[in-house]
Order: sequence, then structure tokens, then C-alpha cells
Amino acid sequence: MPQLFRPYADTIARCVLVSLAVVPILLIGLGYWVTASEYTTDQSITVDQPVPFSHAHHVGGLGLDCRYCHTGVETSPVAGIPPTHTCMTCHSQLYTQTAMLAPIRESLADNKPIHWNKVNRLPGYVYFDHSIHIAKGVGCTTCHGPVASMPLMRQAAPLTMGWCLDCHRNPAPNLRPASEVFNPDWKFPDDQAQRGIVLAHQYLDNKHLTDCSVCHR
Amino acid sequence: MSTQRRFPHRVGHRGPSFDPALDRRSALKLFMAGVAATLASCGRPPEQIVPYVEMPEREVPGLPLEFASALPLAGYGRGVIITSIEGRPLKINGNPRHPASLGSTDVYGEAAVLSLYDPDRSKAPYSDNRIQSWSAFEAALRPRLDSHRQQQGKGLAILTGRLTSPTMIAQLGALSQSMPEMTWYRHEPIGDDAVREGASLAFGQPATAIPRFRDAKVLLTLDADPIGFGPEQIRHAREIAHARRSTSPGESLRIYSAEPDWSLTGALADHRVALQPVLIRNVAIEVARALGASLRQASLPDEVGPFVQACASDLAARRGAALVAAGLRQPAEVHALCHWINKQLQGPVDFIAPVDPVAVGHIESLRKLASEAGAGRVDTLIIIGANPVYDAPADLAFDRIVAKVPFTAHCGSYHDETAERCTWHLPLTHVLEGWSDIRASDGTASIMQPLIRPLYDSRDGHQVLAMLQLQEASSGTLDIIRNQWRHAAAEGQWDDWWRQTLQDGVVASSSSPKLSLPPARLPSIAPATAAENFTFVLSPDPSVFDGSLANNAWLQECPKPFTSQVWGNALHVADADARKLRLDDGDVVELKQGDVTFEAAILVRPGQAAGVLSATLGYGRENAGSIGTGIGFNAYRLRMAKAPWLGGNFSITKTARRENLLRTQHVFELEGEAEELQPRLTLEDLAKGNFHFDRPGDNPPTLYPAPHDDTYQWAMAIDASACIGCNACVIACQAENNVPVVGPEEIAEGRDMHWLRIDHYVVEERPGFSPTPCMHCEHAPCEPVCPVAASIHDSEGLNLQVYNRCVGTRFCESNCPYKVRRFNFFGYADGDEYGNLGADIAKAVFNPNVTVRSRGVMEKCTYCVQRISLARRAAEKDGRPIREGEVVTACEAACPTKAIDFGLISNPQSRVSALRADPRSYALLGNLGTRPRTTYLARLQNPKPDYGKTRA
Repeated sequence: MPQLFRPYADTIARCVLVSLAVVPILLIGLGYWVTASEYTTDQSITVDQPVPFSHAHHVGGLGLDCRYCHTGVETSPVAGIPPTHTCMTCHSQLYTQTAMLAPIRESLADNKPIHWNKVNRLPGYVYFDHSIHIAKGVGCTTCHGPVASMPLMRQAAPLTMGWCLDCHRNPAPNLRPASEVFNPDWKFPDDQAQRGIVLAHQYLDNKHLTDCSVCHR
Repeated sequence: MSTQRRFPHRVGHRGPSFDPALDRRSALKLFMAGVAATLASCGRPPEQIVPYVEMPEREVPGLPLEFASALPLAGYGRGVIITSIEGRPLKINGNPRHPASLGSTDVYGEAAVLSLYDPDRSKAPYSDNRIQSWSAFEAALRPRLDSHRQQQGKGLAILTGRLTSPTMIAQLGALSQSMPEMTWYRHEPIGDDAVREGASLAFGQPATAIPRFRDAKVLLTLDADPIGFGPEQIRHAREIAHARRSTSPGESLRIYSAEPDWSLTGALADHRVALQPVLIRNVAIEVARALGASLRQASLPDEVGPFVQACASDLAARRGAALVAAGLRQPAEVHALCHWINKQLQGPVDFIAPVDPVAVGHIESLRKLASEAGAGRVDTLIIIGANPVYDAPADLAFDRIVAKVPFTAHCGSYHDETAERCTWHLPLTHVLEGWSDIRASDGTASIMQPLIRPLYDSRDGHQVLAMLQLQEASSGTLDIIRNQWRHAAAEGQWDDWWRQTLQDGVVASSSSPKLSLPPARLPSIAPATAAENFTFVLSPDPSVFDGSLANNAWLQECPKPFTSQVWGNALHVADADARKLRLDDGDVVELKQGDVTFEAAILVRPGQAAGVLSATLGYGRENAGSIGTGIGFNAYRLRMAKAPWLGGNFSITKTARRENLLRTQHVFELEGEAEELQPRLTLEDLAKGNFHFDRPGDNPPTLYPAPHDDTYQWAMAIDASACIGCNACVIACQAENNVPVVGPEEIAEGRDMHWLRIDHYVVEERPGFSPTPCMHCEHAPCEPVCPVAASIHDSEGLNLQVYNRCVGTRFCESNCPYKVRRFNFFGYADGDEYGNLGADIAKAVFNPNVTVRSRGVMEKCTYCVQRISLARRAAEKDGRPIREGEVVTACEAACPTKAIDFGLISNPQSRVSALRADPRSYALLGNLGTRPRTTYLARLQNPKPDYGKTRA
């Protein structure tokens, strides 16, 4: 009777035994990696817009304040996208013939709103409020990234629940003084660890930021 | 007998279910296709943000705006403040400045937003079986109008409902000035002709009584339901609840009630007798005789003797604070006699000139139209906002009348029964879409402002009248209204006046002045004898009122007080009669009166007077729309012009047929438990303190951790004594929390979705109501059984349901002792035929601050966590704690009697802390150790201590 197994069968068996233990772990790890990856979260994807509005130019170059356009950010859950009229405060005088701005002029002429593509998207069951974060010392660029250097906008943070909870569990590293909330060039100081704790103590009365009802209702 | 929820009966038809055609192979194929699609899944679909071109002043995206307006009911206005988010009116709240709202709402007001977004609303003019345009209608009307004008308006008739709009009345006045022969007829199905005649009989001039229940100590209602459904419900309920709030027996209002069927007032009354409607007058006569009226003695059943005796002596003893009220079903003489009695008692009642300006009764007006049209003297009939083919008395045969008029135009929100038979149908704007004005029943005027542009090609009544006046129809209603009111403002202050009036929702000092009337005359009134056969009594429906709201799914699924019936009406038969005739709930009987026969399913009603059949109006619609058509039976068919609320001499026979009547709370005996679930106390018991409850603080020992003490702790206290069972809270909750409608098939399966239900218990034959939301137990039995921690506590004491975690095991529902959790079996909010009728517009009603729950998810009352969160964020931004009274839940805001209080028990000074410490306070099923945060105050009764013990 000939040999049933060739010598390399041992190697295969060893590999299979190892794989039985390793592959499920790797698969689970892969799953976690994929769900947290930019592929799934859409992080860092630069979104095309009907008018290539550049934050780099308007904020970084001209130094417009965030609130000039995003008027609701201090009072409302949504920061708000400016109405066409806001664009026209300047562009009725500047670059009035540029092809790039044609959709803006058409919007005003036809009284038809511009359809901007959404960059930062949260699931429908998450109730995020801009105004409370602004009031509590979370700066715009903390979540939205270095807006002043972005020609077109991209999602700068993963916006996953884990990412939200990191800060809700320990807000101190991400807080800045109220005066600096709208500063697009803010850099956290080296002693943020201490300053953050002081700010958290100063701003935050709610000690239960991880209650489900804070974001879901 | 007592009632409680139980397992549903399984009945014949099943609701939406999984497709039986799907076999194992197809299921596997679909499963594998699903797996493949998941593996190769694409990203989320892109979303867009659409800003304004020019943002309206004061608009901040994401923040609500509030506007004051008024909503009509039976022609009278109730002030409201409407919340609108991003241009969508979403929630109706009461207007505290308005005397008919006082900050609260009723079911009809709360449900008005759903009607606005009803996909069945009429969208375009219609004639000759096709869609037309307004200009086509104008072209068709114009030659007729010209010839009417030449004949001074001869042959032109306008039919409206009850009108109290000063502008509309002025427009009609101007029309009849230019065409003196034109006639304006009026038809209000929930009419009060007898009430008005009674006042004329007593005082020799028209007058409307405005009782001040607030100041009353004794009240006798004679088939009257002051806190029942209608335009004055909120004000009356608030006043009566206020008058009963005192716990001293001499100070608290005592109510005596004599009525044929159950009314909300009867349920609240301390002494009640059930009497045939004809015998009610005998009670009035006997009370009048006790006060010295020279009337013939009236005979009454023996058991009523002590009632009349106790009531008469109580009334006489509280002169100046005693009141008698008769209901709109009673004839004019009874009303006149009540005025006389009130005069003798110096009762707290004011009189004003009628707000409804025309002295002719509504039935009389309609009868006149029927005879004129029947004789061929009406060539053109314009019907504005009325549906007489459906709701006119049956003996007027209005469908035939309409057919006799050569040119009929019906302006209405729906293509209803009348529209079906008219030459033209014209869509009328919804009350939230157009300018108008209206008066409340006390004369207070309000300007109604639009919250949204008309969704469809509709016009309002003012525009239609302007068109008849040959004014430019496109000229805005706003100008018409502003011109009407311009005189009201002082010279040069018009703009301020207008702005202030719109903001307040009330025209300042516009309530009707009090009349000083001659003393009420004693009418000649003869005692009645008991009816031989069955008497039929009608009443407006607690859900769909007069039937005009029949296409509102929230109202159709709103459980009626006492019976918890939904999606239909029933003929109520007294239990004594049912026993005699061997009738049971759901049996279909044949009613016969002369040559009129009628079939209806019955409900047995203990406590209804023997020999009385009762039913509510508003059902049996033929053209209500896809929600309201073909539900229940049309009780208007039993209505006769000479006696619109009562019919005599009926006989009933049982048929072999049965109907499944849909009820959300099933009736059965609970051995003694009702008393535990809804304890009752008399004021005497309360004073003596000889009772024992499961107190909110009496907790069995536990190993569970104590609640947090470093943050807010929320709680709700419900005064079962003040709850009148009006359901305003139920619909308010539905509107606020995106609670879907499940439809009759699902109700038959025992499923419903209301986060807040009103339980009804009967103890010693006395019904009582308790609103039952989630108890938010500190030791919630639902939480440890959830495998995914979707049912979980937050630090502020709320028992949360996290929808995006929930996997639908329903263990929590099984383990909830209060049965307040609701499971979404079929994605009721979306994709269900009763949820959205398949139309996008129906989604506009959703509150954007509350998740629209999907299929397979458990849900329940959240204590309006979105409102708590809003208040918390506002307080945090201001750097202050949340103030007492800052968070008002939707149910609390709606409640006309302020029976619900919500607040912080972490603040020992709060109202809710005080209410939990009240001796009447008890925890529902507190012995289970659930430590509910929702607690109750026991229902109080104030019976006469020596009732039935003394004989005159």
C-alpha cells in the first residue's frame, strides 16, 4: 500500500492548525479595521461642489470669520449653509463675470437654491448640536480640521461613535478658551493637559456626557 | 366591573404579513443575494444641503419659530401657538392668552397638523369628472353671477357652517347689500339651537350664558357635558378642575349629574343618576319646585328621589355659588327653566350677546334652504366649508335638494359627499395655510395667520366671497383681513396694533360685553312621562367630532373615553336592556322607527339609562378619503330636523351578524384589583387619613445602587382626580413623538403604538381615568432582560430606549408590569398604508428632533427627552441650572386641567416633589419595588355626606 501522505502533508497540517487559531482573529481584526477605516467612514474624501468654494481662500486668505456664513452655529443645532445672498454681499462687486461663480448668479436670478454636497454626515439617529459644543469650548477646527488650508472641504474626523465618545469621556484635551473657539489657526498649547482640566472644570456642569440620551432620542 | 389590558383576541383577518408566496428556495436565493450585496456594499448615498436663496428674517435653520393663531371647532375659535421648524408647522400648543385655550389644547387642535399634510386633501377644482382650473370656474360662474346681480341676487344662495369670522360676516354683509335678494343659509351639525331658544324664552332676547364654574361650589348638570368635546371644553375643564382642587369638603365643587348616557362630566360627578332624556326635565322641575317654582309636580323613578332631594338642598344651601346647566340635547323649555333656577340661586353665570350673529337656528336655516331649493327657487348654491349631504338631518334629504339646484359649487378641504353631488368642487385652504379671523365662544377675536403657503391650488372662504363680489380674487386675503380690522387700532398706531395682535393671538379687549338681562321668566313647562320604547340620543364623537375630521388617522385611532373603541363607532345599549335582549358586545342589531330601519353593532354600557340607545356622530362617511371612508355607521341618518339630538320610539331586534369592534383596552372583571390600580378617596377619608397606599418613598430593601445625586432627577406626578379622560395628552404625545398609526387590522391583532394611554377603571360603578405613560422605574424590570442594553437608565433617572441598539427581542415588553412598551411590528411610520398613505407629503408631519422608529424596534414614552435635552443645552449655554417649569412635556402642555406635572425631584422645592409628598400620592404597583418616577394622586370624590339618609 502506497503512502497516503507525502512528506509535505505535515507542513500543511501545521499551517492549517495555526490558521484555525489565527485566521478568525485576523478576520475579526480586519472587520474592525475596515469599519474604522477611511474607506467606511468617508474620512479625508474631498467632496466636489457645484461651486468650488475654497475655505483656504476665504478663511485662510481673507480671514473671514466662520460665523459670517455659518450664522446658526452659536444658537442652533445646525451651523447653517449661507443663503445665496450671503455670497452676493461680496460677489455682486467682485468677480462678477467669472464662470466659476455662474451658478451663484443663476441661483439669485432664478430664485433657485444651490444644492451643496454634504461633507460631514451623521446617522439620522444622532442628534448633534453645534451651539452647545461652541459654548463649551470645542473649537471649529477640532472636528472640522484645518479648514483654513482646505481648498475644497473634506471630512476631517472619522465621526464614528467611538470618536465622539473619546471626547465625551474625557473632553479636557480638546477644549480651548471661549475666545479661541473660532480661531482657525489655534494650536493646543504644550500644557493643554493642565489647561484642559481647568477649562473642563470651568465649562462643563454635566458630568454625564456619556448617557445615551445625550445624543440619541 | 373593572377593565384592564389583556391579551388580544385573535380574529379572522390578519394584518400585513410576510408574503406566503416566498418559498424556501426563493428565501435562500434572496438571502444569498443579500450576503453578496453586503460584501460588495456601496457607500451611503450622497446627501445634499439646500440653503435659502434669501433667508427670511428671524429664520435660523434648525431652530423652531412660534406663531399665534386660532383653530376653529364648530365655528368657534380656540387660540393656539404653532411651532414651525424650517417652514413646516409641526406642533399645536395652547395659547395662554386666549380664553378658550388658556394654554392647553384638545384632541382636534393637536391633530390639525396631520390634516394639513393629509395626501387626500382636495388639490384642484373639479367638475365634469375632471380636474379644472379656478379660471374655468370663474368663467362658468360669471354669466350666472351677472344675471343674479341684475335680479338683485334672486336665486343665489350661500351655505356656510357657523360663522364667527368678523371679516367673513362683513363680506357676506357687503354681498347682500349689493344683492339684497341673495340668501345666506347656515348649517352647523353640532348646533345649539335649543340652547339659544331657551335663552330667548327666559329673557325675551337672545343671549349666551357664560357660566363661571371657577366660582361654583355646587353644580347640577342636566344631560349637559360642559367638559365634553366641543369648542368650550378646555375652558370649562380648566375651571371645573380648579374649582375641585380644594380638599376641604365645603370648598370643593360638588357635581350632580343627571344624564341618559355617559359624559365626561358624568364620570367626574360626585352623584350621578342615569335617566331617560325626556325625564331630565322632571329633575329640573323638581329642583325648581324646591326653590319655590309653582310648577306641576313631576314624577321620577324612586331611585332618583334622594338625588333630587340632596341636590336641591345642596343648591339652595350654596346660593351664590350654585349652578345648573342643561345640555344641548335638552329642549328650549328646560334651558329656560335652568336660567330661572340660576336666577333664584344667584348662580355665577354671565350673559353676553350671541357670538353667532344670526338669530335663526341652524336647523331652521337649513330647512328653509331645503324648502326654497325644493321649490326650485334657488338657481345657484355656493357651499363654503359645509358638508350637508352627509351631515344634514336625514328627513331633509339633502342629496336630492342639491340635485334640484342647477348650479352648485362646493368649497371644501376634501372631495366629500357634498362635492360628489355638486356641479363644481373647489379646494379650500387648510386653516394653517391662510389668513382669517375668528371669535371664540365668549366673543374674543383672533387673527388666524398662515404658517405655510397653500400646498395646493386652493383658495380660502374670503377669496371665494371676494370672487362673488367680483373683486379681484387674487387680491390677497391679508388685505381683506387688514381692512376689516383697521378701525380697531387707534389713530396712527395701526402697525403696532397689528403686530401686537398677531403676536398675542388675541385681539385685545374683544370679548363680548356682559349683558344685563331682565330676570329670567319661569317658562311653562309640563312634566314628561317615561318613554315606552327605546329613545335614541346622539352626541358629537370624541374622536372625529362631527365627521369632518374622519380622515385624520390620529383621531381615528384615538381610543374613545369609557369604551376605548378606535376606528369606528357603536350603538351603546344599557346593560339592563342588553341582558333583556340577550345582546353582547359586537352583536349587530336592527333599529326600527316607523319605516326607518338601521343596522349597527352594539356595545353594552353599564351605567347608561335603561331604554336609551346612544351613538356618536361622524362615522359612516362615504367620501371622507382613504382613511375615513366606510368606517362605522352614520348616525346622522337617524337625525330628524325637529329633534336633532333625540329620537323616540325605536325598537331593536338582534340580527345573526356580529362585528368585531376594535378596542384598545378590553373589558373584564378584576377581582378587587381596580381599587388598587386606581384608588379612590372621598374628601372625608382624606381628612381622616384612614387609607393606605404604596407611597412613592415606601420602598422594599434593595441591593441595586441608589440613583445619582449629582445631577437632575426627573419625575412626573399625575393627578387622577383632575384627569377628565379627554385624550388631549394622547394626541399631543403622538404629534410630538412621531408616534405612528397602526391601522384597524393591527389593532385587531392587539397592537397599538400610543406611548401614553388613558386607562379606565370602574370602581363601585364609578369610572375613573388615569393617563399611563412609562413609569420610568428606578428599578426598571425592562432593563436587566435586554440582551443588548437598549433599555437602559441615564444618570437623570430616565429609562431610555436606544433604538439603534434594539434588536427586537421584546423581552422588555414582557417584563414591563405596566405594559407601556410598544413594538414596531411593521415599520408603521413608513411604508404602512395608514402611516403615510404612500405619499411623501405625509412625512412632513414628523418632528425632526425625534427619531422616526423603524420596523423591529421597541419604543415607549421618553418623558419627551428631546425637550429635556433642549432645556439642558439652553441652561448649560447660559451657565445656570434648569429652572423649575422649564421642561414641559407634550402631555403636560396639552392637559386642559393641568393634571400632569413634570419636574425635578432633585429640587426639594419643586412642585413635583411636593406632589410626591402629598398624602394622596401613590406609586402604581408600588409593591413590586419598581420605584416608579411617574406617580399618581388618588382620585378624589366629594359626595354629600348625608346623601340618601334624610327624607323631606
